[in-house]
Amino acid sequence: MSVIRSFKASDMFKFNNVNLDIWTETYNIGFYLHYLSRWPDLCCVQEAPSGRMMGYVIGKAEGQGSEWHGHVTAITVAPEYRRLSLARKMMSLLELVSDETYRGFFVDLYVRCNNFVAIDMYEGMGYSVYRRVREYYGNLGVGKGGRDEEDAFDMRKPLSRDSARRSVRSNGRDIVVSAHDVS
Amino acid sequence: MSVALDRQIRPIYDALDTGSHKSAITECNKVLKKHPKNALVKALKALALVRYQKVEEALVLCDEVLESKPTDDSTLNAMMHVLRGLGRHKDMITMYDAAYKKQPTNEELGAQTFFANVRASNWKSAQQVASKMYKQFQEDRYLYWNVMSNVLQANDNNTPVEMRTLLYKLALRLITSAPTPSSVHSDRFYLHLTVLRELSEYDEAMTLLETPAGRNICETNLACNEIRRDLMRSRGALEEEGKRAEQRILEKGDRNWLEFLSVIDGTFASLPESKGEAHAGPSEDAKEQCSSKISNTLALFTNISVQDGRKDRSGLLGLLELEHRARRHGVSTDTVRLLHLLKRYFETFGDKACCFEDLKPYLGLEGNDLAAWTEVLQACPSSLSTVEAVQRTINSHKLSRYNLSASELTVDAETSRAALYISQYLEGLPLGRNFPTTELQYVDDLAILAGSVFVNLWKMGGDIKYLYKAVVLLEFALSKSEQAFQIRLMLIRIYRLLGAPSVALEHYRLLRIKQVQNDTLSHFILSRCSTFSLAASGDLTLTSECLESSQIYVSNSQETNDYVIRAFSAEKYSQIPQFILFEDWLENSLQRDITKLEYLRMRITHEVISSDIIDLELIELKFVFDRLHHDNRDFEILPNYQPKSVEDFNTQTLLFGKSEGHGWVWSFLKSYIKVFSQASDLSDVVEEKLLVGDRPQISPKLGSLKERLARREKEEMAELTPDELSLISYTDALTEWLEPFHDYVRPPASVVLADVAKNTELKTGLPLRGVDITPPLNGHVKKEEETPPITDAPEDLIKFFENMKIRFEAAKNAGHLNEALHIATIAQEAFLLFVTETIRFKPASVVKIHKLGNLVAKFKPIRAVGIAVLKEMTIALESMSTQEGTSERRREFVDACGFESSEIDHDSIMNIIKRIGK
Repeated sequence: MSVIRSFKASDMFKFNNVNLDIWTETYNIGFYLHYLSRWPDLCCVQEAPSGRMMGYVIGKAEGQGSEWHGHVTAITVAPEYRRLSLARKMMSLLELVSDETYRGFFVDLYVRCNNFVAIDMYEGMGYSVYRRVREYYGNLGVGKGGRDEEDAFDMRKPLSRDSARRSVRSNGRDIVVSAHDVS
Repeated sequence: MSVALDRQIRPIYDALDTGSHKSAITECNKVLKKHPKNALVKALKALALVRYQKVEEALVLCDEVLESKPTDDSTLNAMMHVLRGLGRHKDMITMYDAAYKKQPTNEELGAQTFFANVRASNWKSAQQVASKMYKQFQEDRYLYWNVMSNVLQANDNNTPVEMRTLLYKLALRLITSAPTPSSVHSDRFYLHLTVLRELSEYDEAMTLLETPAGRNICETNLACNEIRRDLMRSRGALEEEGKRAEQRILEKGDRNWLEFLSVIDGTFASLPESKGEAHAGPSEDAKEQCSSKISNTLALFTNISVQDGRKDRSGLLGLLELEHRARRHGVSTDTVRLLHLLKRYFETFGDKACCFEDLKPYLGLEGNDLAAWTEVLQACPSSLSTVEAVQRTINSHKLSRYNLSASELTVDAETSRAALYISQYLEGLPLGRNFPTTELQYVDDLAILAGSVFVNLWKMGGDIKYLYKAVVLLEFALSKSEQAFQIRLMLIRIYRLLGAPSVALEHYRLLRIKQVQNDTLSHFILSRCSTFSLAASGDLTLTSECLESSQIYVSNSQETNDYVIRAFSAEKYSQIPQFILFEDWLENSLQRDITKLEYLRMRITHEVISSDIIDLELIELKFVFDRLHHDNRDFEILPNYQPKSVEDFNTQTLLFGKSEGHGWVWSFLKSYIKVFSQASDLSDVVEEKLLVGDRPQISPKLGSLKERLARREKEEMAELTPDELSLISYTDALTEWLEPFHDYVRPPASVVLADVAKNTELKTGLPLRGVDITPPLNGHVKKEEETPPITDAPEDLIKFFENMKIRFEAAKNAGHLNEALHIATIAQEAFLLFVTETIRFKPASVVKIHKLGNLVAKFKPIRAVGIAVLKEMTIALESMSTQEGTSERRREFVDACGFESSEIDHDSIMNIIKRIGK
């Protein structure tokens, strides 16, 4: 439960309680404005009744032909608002818009291979691993995750337009590509 | 262009792309030897020169190219970058305008002309260009560009109010004339709705919203849905909106809190929002009607809360909000419902971190209610064996602390609270024993609570030992939970209170503040940082911190505008006003200029005060003085768990108990502008001639500079510390005293300009543009009038340093280190401003020609006292700092902390005090 509204440029003045968390990157101004100037309907904020920011999602639509899809670039929830299913709600909004407004075939996202909590959560939402991308992330230098820390799973969920479920495959975890091969 | 020439130009682009400006210039010169008239190469050379900081030379080339009225893409493009670099947006418009006139069928040129106007916020011309483009190219988007320009012009501060409606009407007429309906495109639809809302054309808006396309858009587009909701509210259709929201909640399982608020607003629609006491109160009829609706909503939310259980908070929170509003309207029928709901909420969601924040608005309890509620909280078993239990314990502490009355806030009571929180903290800590360093500990908030109590204890009696206790505890907690940024922020505040700025800075750097956060969070370290600056002895840590954190403003002015253009290209009209607002807030950020002033205050302590510094800073300060500031500073980020009966944590931990706001900035700006403009030879005439680039738009409401400088408002002064206040009256007295003499001695504009022209020519080998003055024959212009009568220095000025000395002694003897430092810094600043004010009268020839010997004689004693006082302060400060650093003081500190827990050991306390001592 929270207020769900569109992400506004001036939210950059308000997102400190979300972004000071180590897992959330603060990008340059241009990053946020770029997304807002192209896909404002794929960027949304969750706010507590007090007006405090709880989390946000930033997404885009991309790809050619049957690869046309919605992509989750960043999704984050402030530490004090975790375990309230906020991410789930933001994801379903992004799926709705990718489906109805953009008519994409699927939604995809990248997640660190060692982030089991997140992977479980996405699987619960209907996502599955499409491929493993080698060295997608820089090393955080914190854990001993080894390869799992730097590699990403590209996870996908088909939308209504992909009724034949061509955008997913069951052996995704075994398909490894290098970071250069993905956009 | 010939292939050969093309081949020669390529390396220029390459050099520019890789940032080798110097070799780009060399390449340009090579080509220009053979093709001295080539506009593109000239433009590229100008660009390289601008980037190489050779502005004067760039200007000459730039003007040559502009005169040739280029039309080819590459030259225009290069020139666009040159003109942007020079801040000459108006010239950019002229350039594109001319090019587009020559080739009216060139769509790209039309778009660039439009964008040039957008960059300069020249909405009226933008609108004309868009209109011309629509006629020529018949593309709907140009029609909407025109609409958007109208809307932006209407929103512009400088547009008279009576014009606004007219502009919106024009915009509406344009939209309705479009061949395709706005609803084919969600952002066009959004723009259409904005225009209708501004014109209060609600019926027309509703018709649009009721179309299938309109409904579809609102279903998936949050921005459009937001404006739809807004429209419903504006037209007073709260009930209708409430019904719609109810349907969404029931049928779609929507749990957006906005829908719940709509239901509640609908419930109370028949009762007017009570404003003030003079309100007559609603009629009995209206009350009755409302009561029946309340019971409906009550049933609805109750069902949802039962159905959702612990899955979602909306139902229960909705019930709380409903009861809260009913009480506010005086239509609540159940005296115990609020209490019951609070209790139920705490039982259901007490183990969620957000429970306290959720309940905070509803905690205004009194009397028996409060007693009963406190009982509920106290009954909460303070178990720390599971994560849920820890969270529940934390929430019960936060909730009961919030309502503590003054009588419950004694030193003893607070001390035992701190002890309880700490023991629970230590008890619960093992729950996160094996966490990686990236995880937050479950018990962090207990440490935050205890730290807050210590700060409150310090605030109550002024005993500094409580700050030491807070530091030790919070440092310990941070060592167990390295990513706990809230703890770090608290520590930064406390270290600054303790006069340990370098430790504070260390923590600040560990927060990895980036990008726009430099604007919202740098106040933590830069607020009044000149107090702690060691710039005078060569340590530039804080000055460079100021420069680094100010980089974001450069990025903003260079980049943000581009995205406005991009939003136009991509037709994302909903974003354009937002981007402009964002750019404006950052450009005119209050923190930006607080930082600027602190930087300047530190700069004059370590650089030789010369006319270069004075002139440059003066120009900048005058720009700053014309800004309408916006405060983007984030204070909310500091946790606050202080009782509502006392100041919040932020206020409690402000350095010198005062927050700098607009008033502080105005006060210091006025003083510095007064002093610098007297010391400078730059008059308005000279400035006008020499300034490159466009001037900022100034609101005519502000009044003349002189009037504005003279005004000192009470509210402005209220933001100053007593010593800052003395500095302000000191500078006022100083500038008032010396003004006539400065005006008498300052060379006339013609002499100054001739001087500058001569220097420029020496430097660039080219005459200065736009300045055509034959220098006067003998450099000195004979003064017609007599030397103004020499007056005695005003009392405020003579006594200033003595007074500061007395204040310094008092602070020192009371052991207030920070305050002593503050006073000494202000005294030093006053002295440096005195130096700045008197530079002009230094050369013996000036004194002789203008017969100012008697005046200069009056400077001497003031100077001498100033120097003596500053020396004494320096010696005193030095001895204070050695005393603080002794092992004896450390011993005292450890004793004062009085931590005897086995967890927080002696060594780590010792480490902390050593760092403070530094």
